[in-house]
Amino acid sequence: MGVISVLKEIPGLLVVTWALLGLAIYAGYRQNWQMRSVAADGGYLSGLGFKSEKPAGIFRWLTTVDHKDIGVLYIVFAAGAALWGGTDAMMIRTELFTAGTDVWSAETYNALFTTHGLTMLFFFVTPAFTGLANYFVPILVGADDMSFPRINAIAFWLLPPAFFLVRGGLITEVMGKMLAAVGVRWELLFSLRPPTLGWTLYAPRSIIVSNPQVDLVLLGLHLSGLATIMASVNIIVTIFTERDENITWANLDIFSWTLLTTSGIVLFAFPVLGSALLMLVADRNFGTTFFAVEGGGPILWQHLFWFFGHPEVYILVLPAFGLVSLILPKFAGRKLFGFKFIVYSTLAIGVLSFGVWAHHMFATGMDPRLRASFMAVSLAIAIPSAVKTFNWMATLWGGNVRWATPQIFCVGGIMTFIIGGVTGVFLASIPVDLVLHDTYYVVGHFHFIVMGVITFAAFAASYYWFPLLTGRMFNRRLGRIHGYLSIVGVFVAFLPMILIGYGGLPRRSASYPGAFEALQQLSSFGAVIIGIGALIWLTNLVQSYRLGPIVTDADVWNLRETGQFSREWQWFEEQLEDRTKFRR
Amino acid sequence: MNRPLSAIAGGATGIAVMSLLLLFLEVETRSNLAIFEAVARFAGMPGNVTFGFVLFVLAGVFAWPLAFMALEEYIPGGPDPATRGMVLAAVLWVVFVLTGRGDLSGGLLAIYVIFTLLAHLCYGFLLGAVYGRLTSEGPVESERYDPSDVSQ
Ligand code: HEM
Ligand SMILES: [Cu+2]
Repeated sequence: MGVISVLKEIPGLLVVTWALLGLAIYAGYRQNWQMRSVAADGGYLSGLGFKSEKPAGIFRWLTTVDHKDIGVLYIVFAAGAALWGGTDAMMIRTELFTAGTDVWSAETYNALFTTHGLTMLFFFVTPAFTGLANYFVPILVGADDMSFPRINAIAFWLLPPAFFLVRGGLITEVMGKMLAAVGVRWELLFSLRPPTLGWTLYAPRSIIVSNPQVDLVLLGLHLSGLATIMASVNIIVTIFTERDENITWANLDIFSWTLLTTSGIVLFAFPVLGSALLMLVADRNFGTTFFAVEGGGPILWQHLFWFFGHPEVYILVLPAFGLVSLILPKFAGRKLFGFKFIVYSTLAIGVLSFGVWAHHMFATGMDPRLRASFMAVSLAIAIPSAVKTFNWMATLWGGNVRWATPQIFCVGGIMTFIIGGVTGVFLASIPVDLVLHDTYYVVGHFHFIVMGVITFAAFAASYYWFPLLTGRMFNRRLGRIHGYLSIVGVFVAFLPMILIGYGGLPRRSASYPGAFEALQQLSSFGAVIIGIGALIWLTNLVQSYRLGPIVTDADVWNLRETGQFSREWQWFEEQLEDRTKFRR
Repeated sequence: MNRPLSAIAGGATGIAVMSLLLLFLEVETRSNLAIFEAVARFAGMPGNVTFGFVLFVLAGVFAWPLAFMALEEYIPGGPDPATRGMVLAAVLWVVFVLTGRGDLSGGLLAIYVIFTLLAHLCYGFLLGAVYGRLTSEGPVESERYDPSDVSQ
């Protein structure tokens, strides 16, 4: 106690600081302010520097229209958003560690799960996969670039402003604080409070809430929708028109197939969201009554939202499936089992995804006949998903499985997808849903998918293509530790939520009855495990980018052996040869 | 670039990013952590946020980087200067937590401890990495990756 309170009393670190400064100047003096000049990268180029005629430094990244650069921008943006959204998640779990409302206020808590959901869905997952698409689709289909490189750049550059509008209040609050620090207090800058509506923005609350920040959120989401649509049009046109002669529909790779389907879904789903958002903006500001009781009613919002919202779930998960289908066979030493059926099931999911939206609305008192038909389609959509799962398992069966980091994530993703999928089938049946609707069961269910297979596939891809992207290898032991930690973490974090849901605890509340405390604490513990894993990932990739062993042979994963040295690696090999020439 | 200037450049980068992170944290937590009051306490100016912050920035741009430059060889974690920067920053963080935590407790204290540690590590990393790159004392030679050793 004594030491600590003494430290608190110190008139400042000033003394120490300036003493150190003096020491430093003395030391510098002794070393004669040594000068050095050696090429900064020691003569090696990273994978991010293939072409030399690009402008250097930050300017390159601001002006680029090269699909590879834009892909990298997307990926970096998505990683940043994921870390920020992860901070929200950790803060949610801190509050839920104890039964009372004792860390954050209820309002802050509500804001946290709202921004967490919006950030993760619109600014982490979608950009992450769009980024991979931008980098790899042209290479995989043998195109020089995307069809519309400039639109591609615009689509990316719409995202940061959209993100800041949605996370909003941030910039204004920062400005407000800066002004306040010099003694000027401008209340307007503090009037934007983070939204507390949940990512579904249900009417009538979303109309009534007076917080002007909600309008910014709606506009930001609209903007991100535009960006997503532009990117999707680009992907579709590229795959249709820019394919190399020897790439036919029959030998188009599985990743491009899933992105094509995903982009198709985007084309039908996002305009609905865009329109609904504008109607909501009009309801809030211009006295229209689209979603007011005297007009279309709050249920209209739910229909429009979920007509977008359910397909959105598949927009997120199909690219992840594509990645698993692409990466898993490489480390199983054999070809993907039932390639054709995986493609068909992808297309089937694409179509069916528009026929199930009302399973999110079973509890709203729809006509029971309507309800039953939505239940039927929802159960049916489980079939193509199961086809994929069985094909993956059949691929592993009898294969020569290597437990490299990407493979750990693929198999872990399949495991979590099975839990997520089965719990989903339960939710799709009306009587079960009526009991479990809006409990933690739902949170557990969809996190087995979003944190399980979707994020795992993104991690798998980040490791699998890391050598290609950076020209260096990552630390494989750390990678494996991250893989196992993530799998354990997801089960420890989200299985308790399933149980809590069976106990009937409603979600979206900062406090809860003490009886749930033990399970909630277990869940928070799991979240910490996931968080530690994510930090290991970040450290590993950043340090490996700087210091990792240099890749000189393009076949980093020994794919030639099993005849799976696919197009992107062949492309990488050519790049490496060019670079080696350049270096000598 | 010459060494003191490189160190200062590293410090400036580090402090810019760190301040941004702290600002985000402040806004994100609806000022529950009072980070900038903590910064002021850390800088020895309790109660005077503006002045405390200015001192914090000055120390982050000049004092620590130059100290880092002088002490680099004695800091564990080498040869990578970025790792050494993180070690230095971790030491600073200990003092930050002790002087700055005010009367936080429970969950808030945990959040405060973890996120300020991350912010400090970021600072140290950038300080060392930028310094290393500009003086090119950074990792120059790196072994080559041998695919045949894909152990598993
Ligand atoms: C460590 C990882 C994560 C943890 C611990 C976590 C935790 C949580 C919790 C506890 C909630 C419920 C808050 C409440 O309703 O009271 C929630 C909501 C949500 N999470 Fe996560 N999450 C994580 C990762 C993710 C990821 C990766 C995504 C998406 C890719 C995601 C998407 C969502 C969405 C959309 C919601 C809002 C759901 C709704 O209210 O309808 N989460 N998260
Ligand atoms: Cu659905």
